[in-house]
Amino acid sequence: MTLFQALALALLQGVSELFPVSSLGHTILVPAVLGWHNLDRSSVSFLAFVVVLHLGTALALVVFYRAEWYAIVRALVASVVRGRLSADRDERIGWRLVVATIPVGLLGLIFEAPVRRLFGSPAPAAFFLMINGLVMFAGEALRRHQRRSAGREDKPIERLSYAGSLAVGAAQALALLPGISRSGISMVAGLLCDLDHEDAARFSFLLATPVILAAALLEIPRLFVPAAHVVLLQAIVGGIAAGVAAYLSVAFLTRYFRSNDLRPFGWYCVIVGAICLILAREGMIT
Amino acid sequence: MRVVAIALAILFFVLGILYGLGKINFFTQSGAQHAHHITHLVVLWVLALLCLIWARFQSAPR
Repeated sequence: MTLFQALALALLQGVSELFPVSSLGHTILVPAVLGWHNLDRSSVSFLAFVVVLHLGTALALVVFYRAEWYAIVRALVASVVRGRLSADRDERIGWRLVVATIPVGLLGLIFEAPVRRLFGSPAPAAFFLMINGLVMFAGEALRRHQRRSAGREDKPIERLSYAGSLAVGAAQALALLPGISRSGISMVAGLLCDLDHEDAARFSFLLATPVILAAALLEIPRLFVPAAHVVLLQAIVGGIAAGVAAYLSVAFLTRYFRSNDLRPFGWYCVIVGAICLILAREGMIT
Repeated sequence: MRVVAIALAILFFVLGILYGLGKINFFTQSGAQHAHHITHLVVLWVLALLCLIWARFQSAPR
């Protein structure tokens, strides 16, 4: 892997992890489209490189939401010590995050390896990227329908039900499929549970933080394998670039979702997914 | 419910140890995937911890 490839993949990872366009799908499709056949996605060195990119992304999220995480963790600890739930806003958000993280962790543990084995090539990634776009359109349409016909109103994260939190977490597990975006699918689930776009995005990013961080921390031993040391420079540069890209992305998206919706990302996923699917079927990308 | 929570915590804790030792291979690619076993161990211990927290919520004075 060249330094240029490392930098490009890191920026791609940092941005696409948080934009609702699937980082996994893009890290399969972009190298295939660019003909970077020297990248062996199953090699020890590449996996170590990916661990560092995830660490960079997770740390960027922790830094961005540092004040919120501090308040949430403090409220959770106080709640456990007290042995009672209270009406505190941070505590309520914290327990909803805990509940939503359980299905992601369990389903990820069971299905990650077989799903990656089955669908880790460009054609399925392109197909699921299209599906991701259609899910975002469907989510926006359903939400509008819910508000028009049932007269449902937006509620803040702390008023999200535990069943709703569980549903958002379960939806996020669908992102194991390359092409399905973690943030996109959990935002759609949040919107259907009556969060507004800003809160759905915030809940999705807060929920992504422990998941990405835990996944990266658990894979840290891969960094100490001698074969991983050949990409040490690329990993350091990549980790920093992914972190900066992720920080800028989350800063942009939190502003964007104050007054915009998921449809532009839906168009992007459908169009890019369709083009890549055609290229894959024609054998032009492998 | 407190008893159920504690029983589940013990179950997850023991299952975690068995995964860590490689005695159980459900949902792992093969017996040799040590890193994967450690992942299962950590997740099961986290679940055990959550069950203990659940038990704590059942037993605290109202």
